[in-house]
Amino acid sequence: MIDSILLVDDENLFHLVFEDACSLLDIALSLKTFNSADEAEIYFKKIVDTKSKKPDCIFVDLNIIGSTFDGIELIRRINFVHGDGVVIGIISSSNDDMEQTKAMKAGAQFWIIKSDQIEPRLEEFKKDFDGYANRILPFKVYK
Amino acid sequence: MIKFTEDVKQQLYKLAEDKNIYLEGNILKIIDSSEDVDLQKYIKSAREKDDTMREKRLEITKKVQTQNDELLEWKSKNEKINEELKNALNKAEKSEYQAVKSKEDAEKAKEAAVNDLDLLQKRTQNQLIESIVKVSLWVISGVGIITTVMFAVTLFRGIENKIVESMWSNMFGILLTNSFSIIGTIMGVKYASSAEKPNKKIKCDCNCHE
Repeated sequence: MIDSILLVDDENLFHLVFEDACSLLDIALSLKTFNSADEAEIYFKKIVDTKSKKPDCIFVDLNIIGSTFDGIELIRRINFVHGDGVVIGIISSSNDDMEQTKAMKAGAQFWIIKSDQIEPRLEEFKKDFDGYANRILPFKVYK
Repeated sequence: MIKFTEDVKQQLYKLAEDKNIYLEGNILKIIDSSEDVDLQKYIKSAREKDDTMREKRLEITKKVQTQNDELLEWKSKNEKINEELKNALNKAEKSEYQAVKSKEDAEKAKEAAVNDLDLLQKRTQNQLIESIVKVSLWVISGVGIITTVMFAVTLFRGIENKIVESMWSNMFGILLTNSFSIIGTIMGVKYASSAEKPNKKIKCDCNCHE
């Protein structure tokens, strides 16, 4: 089971869906959510500055309404500005190849496509999590 | 993992039995229940309850999310339709304005053409009248001069010629009558071609018709 997860998504309803799905599938013990990429970056910067424990895994939405930058830019900043070491990827309803390539270049390790039936994808991701944590699995899209 | 004292466990069991209140959420996943069958049963019941509640909530949240997406899509479509309607209305207004302008232009052109035609007709009439008057004057003057000369010759020579006398008087009478007839004809033509009184009813003296 993943110890802590950070979700960055502008849609509050999806926070509830994600929390319940994670709880039912025993994916994570604790879940922290943010509505904007700016808030998430500030939080992550604070963690790095105070040398607190980083979340084990970060799920970022692609288009985060109300943010000054998108999910791919947040991933790039977390990976290249604030130091990497966390499993990070996109969770979005989009299945755009170009965006997926951009996300991969920014350091995303996975891409989960949001839909009504998200549980099977999260279950599959749970199985692969150790591979991502150990940096042995390539970029994967969960369709 | 966390461990509960026996006293805490008893309180939890009592709360569950009396009031059906259980621990909820991820705390259940970090309680050490090894070697305690009662606590394992408690955690199993609590997790079943928690999972049932979460499943229900997840189902409802998904439904709401789907409805929300549908509403957003509907709103987007509605906005698009409104935008199209606005554009169509603007186009219609522009077309109406163009049509009104074209109509006005056409009316102006028609008015100008009517004026030109009227002017042309009047000029033609005037030329015709002028020609008629000139010819008439020449004829009247010619006939008058000839008969007067002939009558003067007969007078000065002392020749009594009844034919010339009567011809002169008759000719003058006819010429006078014809002069008025010509003037009357000209006036009649002018009156008939006047556009100002196209439907004026004329009453004749005998009251036979209008």
